[in-house]
Amino acid sequence: MKFLVFSDIGKNVAEIATKLRDLGEVHSFTMKNQRETVLKSGSKRLVLLEGTPFSGNVSGALIGSDLPTYDYVFISSTPLGREVAGLISASTGNTIASEIFDFSIDNDKIKTKRFFFGGKTIMEEENSSKIVTVTPGSFEPSESAETAQEETLALSDSHEKLIEEKDRESSGTNIEAAGIIVSVGRGIGSKEAIEKIMPLVSATRGEIAGSRPVCLDYRWLSEERQVGLSGKKVKPRVYIALGISGQIQHIAGMRGSKIVVAVNKDKDAPIFQECDYGIVGDLFQIVPKIVENLKK
Amino acid sequence: MALNIIVLIKQIIDIDQIRTDPNTGEPVTQGIPFRVENLSKNAIEAAVQLKEKNGGKVTGIIFGTDKANAAMKEAYAMGVDDGIIITGYAGNNPSLTAHVISEKIKSISDYNVIILGNQSADSYTGVLPGLIAGKLSVPILGNAVSIEAEDGKIKIRRALEDKDQIISAPTPCVVSVTQEINQPRLPPVLQIMAAGRKPIKTEQPSLVDIHAGKVLSNLAPKSERRRQIFEDASKGSEEVAKAIRSEIK
Ligand SMILES: Cc1cc2nc3c(=O)[nH]c(=O)nc-3n(C[C@H](O)[C@H](O)[C@H](O)COP(=O)(O)OP(=O)(O)OC[C@H]3O[C@@H](n4cnc5c(N)ncnc54)[C@H](O)[C@@H]3O)c2cc1C
Ligand SMILES: Nc1ncnc2c1ncn2[C@@H]1O[C@H](COP(=O)(O)O)[C@@H](O)[C@H]1O
Repeated sequence: MKFLVFSDIGKNVAEIATKLRDLGEVHSFTMKNQRETVLKSGSKRLVLLEGTPFSGNVSGALIGSDLPTYDYVFISSTPLGREVAGLISASTGNTIASEIFDFSIDNDKIKTKRFFFGGKTIMEEENSSKIVTVTPGSFEPSESAETAQEETLALSDSHEKLIEEKDRESSGTNIEAAGIIVSVGRGIGSKEAIEKIMPLVSATRGEIAGSRPVCLDYRWLSEERQVGLSGKKVKPRVYIALGISGQIQHIAGMRGSKIVVAVNKDKDAPIFQECDYGIVGDLFQIVPKIVENLKK
Repeated sequence: MALNIIVLIKQIIDIDQIRTDPNTGEPVTQGIPFRVENLSKNAIEAAVQLKEKNGGKVTGIIFGTDKANAAMKEAYAMGVDDGIIITGYAGNNPSLTAHVISEKIKSISDYNVIILGNQSADSYTGVLPGLIAGKLSVPILGNAVSIEAEDGKIKIRRALEDKDQIISAPTPCVVSVTQEINQPRLPPVLQIMAAGRKPIKTEQPSLVDIHAGKVLSNLAPKSERRRQIFEDASKGSEEVAKAIRSEIK
């Protein structure tokens, strides 16, 4: 079988390619500046796209690259990726299996798993779709000895124009790789209060993360630290949820954790249904106690 | 520049009220009301704000069922001017949804911009913006956190994972919005009552045979957590520290 894999984020290509390379031949497409992260993904062919990517010119490049010769097109579900999948589907008439976190292929059928009802259920489907969008973080990337045959491809001009671009500060953290995560929710109350839980972060040698309001609405933490359905999917050995109510969209991002600890002052908070150890109370009083006990 | 704006509105079963059966894992959907999907509300608010600023008109389209009237009335109350409900929606099938909606839009020739959510809150498919733009052969401005119109062009700001961008495209174009773009308004009672009297067009779709995936199962994920809850903070912190320590080494 032959697979085309695309993502504008190299790491996401590596995740999908790792899963697919045992099933067939993988040809990966990504942006040129992502080369390093994709080189050892086990792709037979690596096409590096040059230029300013928009969904129009990227889908054009993929469609122009012998698209009909591929059995499946796998695209990582990033904002750009989802648009590209839609455009390719509209142009080829192939349907899309979307937002998949696990799958198996049986010739012309693909069995897929995705969340449904906002994360409350897992829907298993059998599809004849040839285009698949994959939730980032669904598979563990590993290096392969196979060296990719590299080529570059210039993106064409697009109808969309880039007027201004600012890199957002990236701390270079990757909470998906963390062994211990201390995650804060709206219950933390303010950006300054995050300092007060840093002793727990250092005592556990963990990474700090947060719920969507904390990362997106208030920007108390950077967006790359958001856990959940629309954020990162994490699977640490210990996930410590502080002042997080445990809405289903949050649970969808941390369900794979080995041990879940929750601290919440509301004893009916849904997070207590999804934890191994829960403490009912004020996080600002309980966190120092946990730190103290860890030092014993 | 007065704008002719189309907003795509999804009606969903209220996912916040869905419970799953603790024994079978089956979602219990019986008796749960329908409502406007979260991102569709952001899309409506964005469309209405764009109209308020530039003048023009907002047309709402729902591909739904005969139960979609309430959703359209809510959209009217928020400021949508005209509403079209296309019936025949039978579950998650984005290719079919895109087909039905884009066929309808093709009959509205003088539109400037189509606004929709970037990923809907129940199925989280996220492929409609690309599908619709592709079927109509118009540019696409995705993941907007703000929208501005200037003559013959739409400009958006968007926040991608590692960068902020301002991008633009000529009209007509598709704009998808994120949850962060606005706080959808809660319309006053008078407006809601007035909305109830406004006519809604209901149409049959031009049906085609586009297969959805066959659902094999749809169940709550199994949770095998211990759920050991402490109300005594001292005891709790001790146990928690013990559990953490065993994983740190
Ligand atoms: C399409 C969509 C996608 C989404 N994606 C995500 C996502 O990826 N990630 C995500 O997290 N959310 C996501 N959400 C949002 C989600 O529905 C919830 O709104 C969000 O998770 C709530 O965040 P929270 O738990 O921090 O805040 P709240 O729900 O406000 O909870 C705060 C909690 O803190 C507790 N608390 C307050 N003070 C204290 C104190 N001093 N000590 C202890 N406890 C205290 C309260 O009892 C409460 O339980 C999404 C929503 C939608 C519609
Ligand atoms: N059946 C529908 N009718 C009208 N608009 C829809 C429908 N389904 C999805 N949309 C729109 O498309 C957006 C993204 O949905 P999706 O691609 O399914 O995640 C939603 O937020 C709506 O604005």
